[in-house]
Amino acid sequence: MDIPEDLSYTADHEWVRVEPGRATVGITDFAQSALGDVVFVQLPETGTRVERGSTLGEVESTKSVSEIYAPVAGVVAAVNSALVEAPERLNEDPYGGGWLCVIEGVDEVEIAELLPAEKYRQLTAS
Amino acid sequence: MSLRQSPLRAAHEKLGARLVEFGGWEMPLSYPSGTLAEHLACRADAVVFDVSHLGTVRVEGQHAFAALQSTLTNDLTRIAPGGAQYTHLLADDASVMDDIIVWWVGPERFDVMPNASNTARVRAAIGGLDVTAERAVMAVQGPRARALLAAVSPEAAEVSHFRAVPFTFDGAPCVAAGTGYTGEDGVECAVPSEVAERFWDALVAAGIAPAGLGARDTLRLEAGFPLHGHELGPGITPLQAGLSWVVGWDKPEFLGREALLAERASGPRRRLRGLVGESRRPLHAGDSCLVEGTAVGEVTSGNFSPVLERGIALAFLPPDVAEGGAVGVQVRGSVLPTTVRRPPFHKLEKR
Repeated sequence: MDIPEDLSYTADHEWVRVEPGRATVGITDFAQSALGDVVFVQLPETGTRVERGSTLGEVESTKSVSEIYAPVAGVVAAVNSALVEAPERLNEDPYGGGWLCVIEGVDEVEIAELLPAEKYRQLTAS
Repeated sequence: MSLRQSPLRAAHEKLGARLVEFGGWEMPLSYPSGTLAEHLACRADAVVFDVSHLGTVRVEGQHAFAALQSTLTNDLTRIAPGGAQYTHLLADDASVMDDIIVWWVGPERFDVMPNASNTARVRAAIGGLDVTAERAVMAVQGPRARALLAAVSPEAAEVSHFRAVPFTFDGAPCVAAGTGYTGEDGVECAVPSEVAERFWDALVAAGIAPAGLGARDTLRLEAGFPLHGHELGPGITPLQAGLSWVVGWDKPEFLGREALLAERASGPRRRLRGLVGESRRPLHAGDSCLVEGTAVGEVTSGNFSPVLERGIALAFLPPDVAEGGAVGVQVRGSVLPTTVRRPPFHKLEKR
């Protein structure tokens, strides 16, 4: 299971790439593997203000639906609209071409509370 | 309760299958290639499913014909020994208690194949021996199924559509039938457990890709075929499911006949229809169906069509909702526009 060291994680199997003032969000390799072939992705609209834990969108495979939760509060600044017609990117490249959205105006305290790679690895191993 | 295992369990594990519970059995959901790839391989090439979880009830002897003919809906006089037939077992109220494939293997031998969990019920109705544990059943399906199967068994590959013939593999007595449940041409092979893994390995070595229950479900839905527990079951009659051709109306006797004749006279109160969405968003069993804002029915099976790349569903709707009609499907808060279309969905023109 691929868990890049330079990313942060949530217990809901999402990854977060932290840059100053912004966070890029996606689902982990573990999550895409558990879901199976993703056939539909619903993304938030840019400009939407989200709270930590609120619903960002949905990822759906041929066998199940999963909600995506905002890992941190902020404003949705960009979405990966290529996923609408090519949701298989979530399976093929979860940490690259399968990114979901960028949240801006994020809070440093909430960022600090995300899981480091080592902690997330322990979570998926248990 | 422990789950029943197919004779091919070890072969599935070797191939890296993801196993799930289905009807009391532990069976492959998918292989590492994934459900979508398996689905598309069946439409374009050839795949093999382990369907050993289907029951086999063997009814033999001089009374076998009468036992089936006086109980099940379809008319066996439409076929002959060496033929196969799709049929229903009804309850007194004409509910479909199971949908079944009958292989008329010899003059006085029928191999009756109910759904996994309905084997005991079918045996109670028609008698016979439950020989499910003695064999594996492999469904080779797809446009290249016969060509590739010929490398393993030329005899099996030659069986015609809806025919059932005996053949041998490694000296073991097997049956091949030109049946399946994917909307593609193909052959189902019942093989004794002792040689099942060798047969499976030979199919895979011949270039036939293994496929799991995930693809089997999306394939049968795309073809518009009913699944017991969804489109068939308590409270659902063959007429409501659009399957009046499964009924031998001229037969003097079958279970549920009186109630079914009464329903035919008054007209079914609902009909199973196909729905096609306008986006990739899958539809789901249990979703409410709306016509002009009013709830009129419910989705029984829904998913994503890998061929159309649209959400698709089967749903019970009032009889007056016709082909081409607009139906809204309520999916978690939003109402998705869909159109009533006649399956098979994969034969419809892609938008």
